[in-house]
Amino acid sequence: MNALQPLRTATGSTRGASITAHNLTKVYGSGPSAFHALGPIDLDIAPGEFVSLIGPSGCGKSTTMLLVSGLEPVSDGSVAVDGRPLTAPISEVGIVFQDHLLLEFRTAMNNVMLQQQIRGLGRAEMRARADALFERLGLTGAEDRYPWQLSGGMRQRVSIARALVHDPTMLLMDEPFGALDAISRTQIRHDLEMLWMETKKTVLFITHSIEEAVGLSDRVLVMSTSPGRIVEEIRIDLPRPRPAHLGEYPEFSTYARRIFDIFEKLGVYRFK
Amino acid sequence: MSAPAAHDAPPAVLTEAQARRALPALNWLGTIVYAVIAVTVLLGLWEALIRIYQVPIWLVPKPTDFLARLVTDAPLLLEHAGVTATTIVLGFLLGVAVAVPAGFLIVSFGALERGLYPVIVFLNIMPKTVIGPILIVWFGIGPLVSVLIVFLMCFFPIMVDAMSGFRAVDPKLAYITRSMGATPLQELRHIRIPAAMPSIYAGMKIGIVKAVEGVIIAEFIASEAGLGFLIMRASSFMDLTLMFAGLIATALLALAVNAVLMSGERLLMPWARRPA
Repeated sequence: MNALQPLRTATGSTRGASITAHNLTKVYGSGPSAFHALGPIDLDIAPGEFVSLIGPSGCGKSTTMLLVSGLEPVSDGSVAVDGRPLTAPISEVGIVFQDHLLLEFRTAMNNVMLQQQIRGLGRAEMRARADALFERLGLTGAEDRYPWQLSGGMRQRVSIARALVHDPTMLLMDEPFGALDAISRTQIRHDLEMLWMETKKTVLFITHSIEEAVGLSDRVLVMSTSPGRIVEEIRIDLPRPRPAHLGEYPEFSTYARRIFDIFEKLGVYRFK
Repeated sequence: MSAPAAHDAPPAVLTEAQARRALPALNWLGTIVYAVIAVTVLLGLWEALIRIYQVPIWLVPKPTDFLARLVTDAPLLLEHAGVTATTIVLGFLLGVAVAVPAGFLIVSFGALERGLYPVIVFLNIMPKTVIGPILIVWFGIGPLVSVLIVFLMCFFPIMVDAMSGFRAVDPKLAYITRSMGATPLQELRHIRIPAAMPSIYAGMKIGIVKAVEGVIIAEFIASEAGLGFLIMRASSFMDLTLMFAGLIATALLALAVNAVLMSGERLLMPWARRPA
């Protein structure tokens, strides 16, 4: 690790932003076909905090993410980033979806450098950051490969590099490891935690996986469906970096059990 | 089909890596050898039947007759092939130049798409050659009519595929580009056009086949030059050997035009998945 360039200087030193939301509500459509997807919910995320949203499909997790970044307009309520009310999409953000959404006609490096081209940032400086991220994410040597030449895990790593290369203040991840195999998922989870510990971006992490939520987060927000609401907030007090095998911590199963019990109470699970 | 040729290569002489490198070349060579053998056998059979049954040359010519014409009349055939090739290129390029922006505009404006849909379906299903006589009235016999027919023939397949290409961009990707602050122009240049390229190219491959088909029909009815015209004139003189020679020249021209398009694909889309 010592041989590596320190990431905080290589990829910039912008700290995470705070995110506050009040009465956040989203209704899609209007009239009788209107669908009340979310809220009202309140959020208060500290700078550099790692927060997970967990809940069944259709509980408004993804909607929450799109609202706090200004990518979708709110139906009601307000969002503030670093205390400034949000009125347009913020650009100090990196986004990772379940699909890697890489451009198939660009190499791994050029996919990441799309940020530089579109934002019109300095090429050499951004390339240095991209190189540092590639090194950190185990992508060295894959720079000139096209997405179809990469494994699913590597594609998602490139997608993470693209989300971080411009040194954003927040990282939004919508089930980023959902499409990966269990082995890749464990590895990439660890790598993301290490990267986050170093850069301290504010992360809003959406997942279906109790293990991912407990394994990564400072705080887990459990959500319920129709309309999406936050039903419980669980602070995860486990030391970092957390081990790949979370069972080493007895507290892990206590946390996992708590989320599981909420799911059962909500009727997410129906066991006979 | 060409596997035996590869297996025949002495394995002891080549290292595995060498063999793997040599394999495509051997396969390729094998394919050609098989094709030449098959064609030779077929033409030989044809020649033999004509000779045995003494079929007159004005009814069905022998391969030796029309292959000879291909050589003796080469300057004539080349001259007309040049005209045909020019017509194809002009009509096809015009088709691409109009169809791709048109496809983009139609996809970009929902109202345009809904309004034009019946028109597009009607024009697409209508055999384009029926416009030929109308075009002759408007523009007279000449190269312009042929170019326009080629244009019409290849326009629709290219536009329809371009439309599906421009539609194919994942809406979630738009969130990412919007977070980058991309302008519509940047999005077009960096994402939508390159993303649509494979579809556009697929449309172009269909379009070029249609273009070759269209050019010959156009030259049958509305031209005083070109391979179609040459074949039609030979027909009125009952010159069957020249007609067959013209047929082969047309096929060779179609092959050449296709080959150019295929090599362009590699140049324009170096990212495309290719068998190793």
